[in-house]
Amino acid sequence: MTDWALDMPQWLWGLPLTLLPLWRLPLRSAPCSWHALLPADGASRAVDLSLRLAGAGAILALLLGSSGLHRREYTVERTGYGAHMVLLLDRSRSMDDSFAGRTPAGGEESKSAAAERLLSGFVSGGRNDLVGVAAFSTSPLFVLPLTENKAAVLAAVHAMKLPGLAQTHVSKGLAMALSYFGDEPTAGSRIVLLVSDGAAEVDPDSELKLRRWFKEKGIRLYWIFLRTAGSHGIFEAPDNPEDDNAQARPERYLHLFFSSLDIPYRAYEAEDADALKRAIADVDREEQRPLRYAERVPRRDLQAFCYLAAALALAWLVAAKCMEVAR
Amino acid sequence: MNRWRQRVADPVFAALIAAFVLAVAACFPLKLALERPVFSHIVIVDITRSMNVEDYRQGGRAVSRLEFVRQSLIRAAADLPCGSTLGLGVFTEREPALLFEPIETCAGFSAISAAIEQLDWRMAWAADSLIAAGLRNTLELLGRGDADVVFVTDGHEAPPLNPRYLPDFAELSGKVRGLIVGVGDSGLSPIPKYDESGRRLGIYAEDEVPQRSGFGLSELPPEQIEGYHARNAPFGSERAGGTEHLSQLKEAYLRQLAGTSGLGYHRLESPEGLARAITAPALARRQQVAVDVRWIPAALALAVLAGVYLRTLLPRLRFSTAN
Repeated sequence: MTDWALDMPQWLWGLPLTLLPLWRLPLRSAPCSWHALLPADGASRAVDLSLRLAGAGAILALLLGSSGLHRREYTVERTGYGAHMVLLLDRSRSMDDSFAGRTPAGGEESKSAAAERLLSGFVSGGRNDLVGVAAFSTSPLFVLPLTENKAAVLAAVHAMKLPGLAQTHVSKGLAMALSYFGDEPTAGSRIVLLVSDGAAEVDPDSELKLRRWFKEKGIRLYWIFLRTAGSHGIFEAPDNPEDDNAQARPERYLHLFFSSLDIPYRAYEAEDADALKRAIADVDREEQRPLRYAERVPRRDLQAFCYLAAALALAWLVAAKCMEVAR
Repeated sequence: MNRWRQRVADPVFAALIAAFVLAVAACFPLKLALERPVFSHIVIVDITRSMNVEDYRQGGRAVSRLEFVRQSLIRAAADLPCGSTLGLGVFTEREPALLFEPIETCAGFSAISAAIEQLDWRMAWAADSLIAAGLRNTLELLGRGDADVVFVTDGHEAPPLNPRYLPDFAELSGKVRGLIVGVGDSGLSPIPKYDESGRRLGIYAEDEVPQRSGFGLSELPPEQIEGYHARNAPFGSERAGGTEHLSQLKEAYLRQLAGTSGLGYHRLESPEGLARAITAPALARRQQVAVDVRWIPAALALAVLAGVYLRTLLPRLRFSTAN
């Protein structure tokens, strides 16, 4: 039983005490004139043995209990639903505005607060994802590596509530998110979930690099675009062909870039918190692929069983003591 | 009745009953609420260029301030008792960026140390380093009382601060608990220059960094400024020279900032020193933890039972003739 352990093995120095009850009984001896006169009695011998064992057992159980007997924590491999996912969060200053493009006033919720609230719900749901977090504004921010620690991921998502930083420089952020995945393929799908309210032109250098990485690493990409009222959408082509370029419509061109990657890709346009919620629910539904993951079975305390055993053994000794013939 | 009184008077019987009762008691989940010190920190690390200065030595090799900060922070995080929490953020320009809210340091240690490992000057979204303004914003934003602020910086303001416009800490003083950690050596060292991909390009030269503040009005009256012109040269026409392209730990300045904002000050000299500084009793928070005390009745039962059996070893002095 290698997975059993003690917290304080010093108590085992008391083990020699268990020999004592095997030798002596705590009962009053009844005088009798000649032992040979007594008939050999199997039942009496059995009771005698049981009382000796009860005494030894009670001491052993109390020693094991006091030394903190427990079964160690171990991991079992289970199949659940989830993925290896990197949340790539936009921390640009515009995320602090409401969906209407203003500083939130009254009951209005900023885009970052809505994203924070709904992503928190997504993360703390019943999924078994391994989640990493990256953020970007003008530069990419490494936040958390891929981890199963949901509390840590929530802490990183909660940090979104704080004021944003600067511009939206999405290609550096994407490169950072992709760097979370190693080159060797793993079981379960690899997802990048990009949540942003804008985009920027992808420069040719990073375009080549991103194109290669997305393909090589086998990434599935989701983009939730938080569309501010009055801004251009990612799906619509401009009326004026002169505006149809990456500088004027970076969002549309980022979408075209993603579509041309030849990888599984879905884009959502969310114009309010409800649409954002639907988009997140959709990702949740889409990514219900089986994933093998290691579940931690927490340590199990066995002290209670020791004490129960000791109490039962002692009860038997007390009962025997009660049956002592009083003279 | 008489028989029972007689039985209870028998010390062996009484002892067995007592051991039994104690063992039964130990079967119940007995917990005692004890207080123990835990810590809650939000560490904000300066990642501006001057933090690349290599003025720490480790194993005979020069390491940058940021590298030394990373190693020291990981060591200090490992030293926090379980139940403590640590949040991490970076600072450039005048704004802190919180990467994550405080995370429990035992369960979250691998995530925390990986995040510290990745702290890099290339995370910076702006190149300015307005320490006092950044400290003020950090305290305003993060000094919420549920965590202490640990602000790690070398104190090198870039561009230099105009003494006319110093951030006001008056309303924050005493409201926030925490520590300024001063990083660097007191001697001047050159600041390495890197390109965007992290290749080293040499060091910053004297004319590559602003040597004096060009913001607002000069602190000197116009008559004392050489070549003063209200519109074209409010700071004078003389070429500003200086040592702003070199960097040192501005300890006196950081001590003064710590004093006005009501924070403590610690100079980073070793990882162990930082670990001690952030686990100082002054920063401890009391946390109630339930301690398992079932071993107490169990040990008592054991003692009583051992007594019963050890007694059987005593020579019988007298033949029991109780009637």
